[in-house]
Amino acid sequence: MKKFIQFIGKILVLFILTLVLLDALYTLVYKQSSERTKIDYLYNSKDQNYDVVFLGSSRVNNHFVPQIFKDNGYKTFNFGLTRSRLEESALMLKLMVERNYKIKNLILQVDLNINTNDHSEAIRSLFMPYIHQSETIRNHYKNIDEYNELLYIPFYRYMNYDARIGFREMYQTAIHKKTNALDNDGFYPLMTDERPMVAADLSKYYPKRNKGYEEIKAICKKNHINLIALTTPICMETINREYFDKIKLIYPEIRSFENAVTDDKYFSTCGHMNKDGAIEFTKIVFKAYFKPKS
Amino acid sequence: MFFNSFHFVIFLPIVFILYWFVFNKSKNYQNYLLIIASYYFYSCWNWRFLFLLVFSTLLDYFSAIQIENSSNDRLRKMWLWLCISINLGFLGVFKYYNFFASSFAELLQSFGVTASPILLELILPIGISFYTFHGLSYIIDIYYKRIKSEKNFIDYSLFVSYFPLLVAGPIERATHLLPQVKVKREFNLEKAKEGIYQIIWGLVKKIVIADSCAVYANEIFNHYPTMNSLSLVLGAIYFAFQIYGDFSGYSDIALGTSKLFGIDLLKNFNYPYFSRDIAEFWRRWHISLSLWFRDYLYIPLGGSKGNKLFQIRNTFIIFLVSGFWHGANFTYVAWGFINALYFLPLLVLNRNRKNVDDFSLGLNFESIRTVINILMTFSITCFAWIFFRSKTIHDATGYIKRMFENHDFSWQYFSIDRYSYELISLVVIFIFVEWNNRHKIEPISGKYSWLKLALCLAAILALGVFSDYKEFIYFQF
Repeated sequence: MKKFIQFIGKILVLFILTLVLLDALYTLVYKQSSERTKIDYLYNSKDQNYDVVFLGSSRVNNHFVPQIFKDNGYKTFNFGLTRSRLEESALMLKLMVERNYKIKNLILQVDLNINTNDHSEAIRSLFMPYIHQSETIRNHYKNIDEYNELLYIPFYRYMNYDARIGFREMYQTAIHKKTNALDNDGFYPLMTDERPMVAADLSKYYPKRNKGYEEIKAICKKNHINLIALTTPICMETINREYFDKIKLIYPEIRSFENAVTDDKYFSTCGHMNKDGAIEFTKIVFKAYFKPKS
Repeated sequence: MFFNSFHFVIFLPIVFILYWFVFNKSKNYQNYLLIIASYYFYSCWNWRFLFLLVFSTLLDYFSAIQIENSSNDRLRKMWLWLCISINLGFLGVFKYYNFFASSFAELLQSFGVTASPILLELILPIGISFYTFHGLSYIIDIYYKRIKSEKNFIDYSLFVSYFPLLVAGPIERATHLLPQVKVKREFNLEKAKEGIYQIIWGLVKKIVIADSCAVYANEIFNHYPTMNSLSLVLGAIYFAFQIYGDFSGYSDIALGTSKLFGIDLLKNFNYPYFSRDIAEFWRRWHISLSLWFRDYLYIPLGGSKGNKLFQIRNTFIIFLVSGFWHGANFTYVAWGFINALYFLPLLVLNRNRKNVDDFSLGLNFESIRTVINILMTFSITCFAWIFFRSKTIHDATGYIKRMFENHDFSWQYFSIDRYSYELISLVVIFIFVEWNNRHKIEPISGKYSWLKLALCLAAILALGVFSDYKEFIYFQF
């Protein structure tokens, strides 16, 4: 029996050693990457100056065309992340501050994402490789249930979020396989149109006070960033468009742009505009807040 | 509590320590502990169904004694059939009632008669098919006087409810397991080490192979109308490895766990995908169930005695019942029927026991023929798995139709952000490892065992699927 206990002990040591080595390997690979996601790009950049940055979900990622701002003399990047919620947008902004970004204007999409105070598991996972290195990320997540496991158990974060930062993603990152996330200064155009278009159903949507949005407002105030919070277009067939009116009741400063583009030809799906719609919309937003520099 | 859960990681060492350090004074103490652990293990899933397990144990225990003590054959037969009826009655109500009721209603509707069947909202008690068959084999063996009835209720209870085999087998025999629980177990270092290796290899099969294949197989089967021919072919192959990794992985963990307590269980898988014909496949796949049906259904039906037509009838009965055992759905029956069809030529040509010997490959014509036979057997097995995996017969036929009619053999990009080909290298490596170790129980022991162990642990951690937890497929049966 003594020999068996020694045998089990050796397996446990081997197991822990494997956890530590794998954790170190994965973290090393992710730390050196800046080409696969907007988060690794942000983490590995420093001292950037932007006239305008965009934050929000896919309704930013697919809706704002930085090139239009660039053509008018504004340095811009679209940091919108498909599937992200305001909690992740707040963390993105905190990271920008941590990386010493100088930002003059922040355009933030606040519409469907204030239906909930929840977070996005898919996007949260992408921050995890940097949890040991970034105090900002650590502080942001210190109150979540699995914080201790994620921070102190080697490799736990990569197992827990294996679908997003597991072996597959680590391998693609290690071989420097690029994605299109950073093309077009972060804008991802939708090229196909779903027809017939299925109406978005917002009948169960109620805007609520949002912790992430409040955080973003506070960060902007502290860092002298001009915050432009706005809603973005959605197709006219949407059920319960009154949802957007209710947003105003909670946050009157949020500017309504849900009707800025209405023609179905500009929509890829009911909730997302196609490339032409994105260009139209970006021009409208630009005109509303900015003037050409040159 | 499942073998791949954190709960089990805590449970197993506690039971192990108590078993060898506290309850090691006598066989009775050891058995008491294992029964308590087994009932706890079962009640972690749903304690309400524990009564069913205890009732089934009591029923079989007393029926066996009554059969043995009965003075005449009529009374013996009466006890046998009473016990079988009650056991199968429970199985029928929990597992098959809704299926028969709704199928009967559909049949009536096809004749223009409107019927609204009374359906029961029942949860299928986990492992019911396994422990029912377990008990039935004991009762039938007693009836045929192959064994003596067990008088010690504790020993018998452990035989039925021993936790490593309780929920998904292997389906044990009294002749094999009871003698082991009737003696005090002494610790055997080599057996325990073998058990650990087998558990780790079982986890590789389940977490790395089965669960990874499940991600792709689920995507392909759930969206088959949008898949091209190549994806559909790969879907069937991925499912073949999913179910093999899942079930044989479970069996490896069960056998390995049992070895830690000094008890050997029946081998359930013997590298079935290296079979040279379908008869050999069925001698290597879910062996304990195949042997159960052979001994308690096929042989009582007359087996291979009588003329060819009689043998064919018995073969079809066996495969159809085996299919139906898996679940109350026509897809399982169809799967059984297809396997019977595969078996038919071998039976007619008297070639069903042609490939019983061991084989090796070399650079000769015979080896090429063997490889071709293995590939053909695997292909037809995959084809049958389509029925097993599909939700309905309509889905299965739609899947097959599209597979043959689509003619698009390009790599497809799935909505789960993956390409259809991404898993192939993992499956190929797995086949290679299995092939090189097909004469062993698991591939870790032997030369460089520590290196192989480290690779297995790394594979589980790095390649395993953890975020999308999957129960073992056979738990539903």
